[in-house]
Amino acid sequence: MSTQINPTNEANISRGTAMGTATYAAPSQTPDGTTEAAQRFVEIKIARRDNPDSAQRWETFRIPYRRNLNIISCLMEIRKNPVMANGERTTPPVWDMSCLEQVCGICTMVINGKVRQSCSALVDQLDQPITLQPMTKFPNVRDLAVDRSQMFDHLKRVHAWVEIDGTHDLGAGAKMSQEDVAERYAYSRCMTCGCCLEACPQYGGDNYIGPQAIAQVRLFNMHPTGKMTRDERLEALMQDDGIQNCGNSQNCVRVCPMSIPLTKAIYEENRETIIHGLFGWLKR
Amino acid sequence: MAINISKQFLFRKLHQLSGIAPLGFFLFAHFFTNSKALGGAEKFNDAVGELHSVPYLIFVEWLGIFIPLIYHAVYGLFITWEARANNIAYPYARNWFYTIQRTTGIIVFFFVFFHILNFRFGLIPGLNTTPVAGNAEIAFALVAEEFTRLWVVVVYVIGITATVWHLANGFWLFAVDWGIVIGAQAQRYAGYACAALGVALLAVGLNAMAAFIWKGGLLGSEFWGMYR
Ligand code: SF4
Ligand code: SF4
Ligand code: FES
Repeated sequence: MSTQINPTNEANISRGTAMGTATYAAPSQTPDGTTEAAQRFVEIKIARRDNPDSAQRWETFRIPYRRNLNIISCLMEIRKNPVMANGERTTPPVWDMSCLEQVCGICTMVINGKVRQSCSALVDQLDQPITLQPMTKFPNVRDLAVDRSQMFDHLKRVHAWVEIDGTHDLGAGAKMSQEDVAERYAYSRCMTCGCCLEACPQYGGDNYIGPQAIAQVRLFNMHPTGKMTRDERLEALMQDDGIQNCGNSQNCVRVCPMSIPLTKAIYEENRETIIHGLFGWLKR
Repeated sequence: MAINISKQFLFRKLHQLSGIAPLGFFLFAHFFTNSKALGGAEKFNDAVGELHSVPYLIFVEWLGIFIPLIYHAVYGLFITWEARANNIAYPYARNWFYTIQRTTGIIVFFFVFFHILNFRFGLIPGLNTTPVAGNAEIAFALVAEEFTRLWVVVVYVIGITATVWHLANGFWLFAVDWGIVIGAQAQRYAGYACAALGVALLAVGLNAMAAFIWKGGLLGSEFWGMYR
């Protein structure tokens, strides 16, 4: 997260200097910080698709440069006046957004070939032309919008919640050690954005439960009440397309915008499933 | 309550295990035997003869080597088939290891198939039709004769290197797949250990091969003479 929005990022500093010089050379500054003489453009190529069954095509747009543009503000600019760089008019591009601060995960797309959140992708830190593509591992609904319900199905499959039975007061839950709280906090930050699945070379066509759901198993199996249904989650992980499909490329942990220790979660659950699944029958 | 496991889970875990035991440990034993060639033709031939006097040899060979090998190789190809390599977009070291593990797997598949037909069964017409197995007294001569051809040497250097890479990285993969190594720091140290193991194994493997070309291998017979 910090590397993406770090204001001291080199790209930002050099950009700032260049703008400063331009300001001295031409004092007729426009309100957005650029000068008329130095008016620049941002070139953006978007992979468009009209409906789930139609073919994908590229459209190129050119919008006026402003400081601190992010991909969402570029898309909003294009939406105001959807005219391509070649002058042809087109439909406004479709994408998802909500929080605009890299917390909800819904604006995830493939930007310059890498998966990330478009709200926190700053134009000043990207090479141009900027390419925007929808994530490839989920059904593409339209343009940059995808259907991520696979991930929510995975959460249901692994029982990613704590069972609190009954309507009466159950009293305070068991205490957790500070260490466990810290570890669980890391897993709890998952925003179901899909970056990890998009970058996972094992994932495709919903053939693998995936690092996101495995980390949630870890989260709930560490919970004192969640532990009571631990085996149910472990056995969910051991079904077809389960945890065994991980190929250890570790892309998931590298791309996760919330810095969740995904491989640690996978390997913890590897140990638990081995002990429960392969050696469990020796307890009987 | 019965423990509910899928076949796929069981098959994957068996695949991971078979790569280490017995196959990985067999490679250690194999390099050990072959390294006897450093002491000369006679020592190697004796070692081969010794192997052929192992009791219940046929069971050891089939249950300990051939069946696990076929399982690991064929199921490994299925796993490789599923891979969607994306190293250009995500060029991280572990992601390269992921792709290299599958690439070396395919190389080893063909190399080992050739190697077994070649020396175990003597079924490569035009190259070798005499199995080393059962002909211990001429074992060294058979191998040395083949290594006079440059292409055979090249094939073996590639094959041995791919095999050693696949095994050394395989130890690391086994350690994480079975939840032995978990945290980031432990993963890193395990990585160093596997790299060291790989370098050592590669040196031993190539030196054993060299012993069929130059007397005493890469370091020469004087070196071994000193320690004999
Ligand atoms: S480590 Fe496993 S889950 Fe993570 S990207 Fe690689 S294959 Fe996918
Ligand atoms: S684990 Fe990280 S990358 Fe994966 S869905 Fe959650 S927040 Fe996104
Ligand atoms: S809009 Fe919520 S993460 Fe980008």
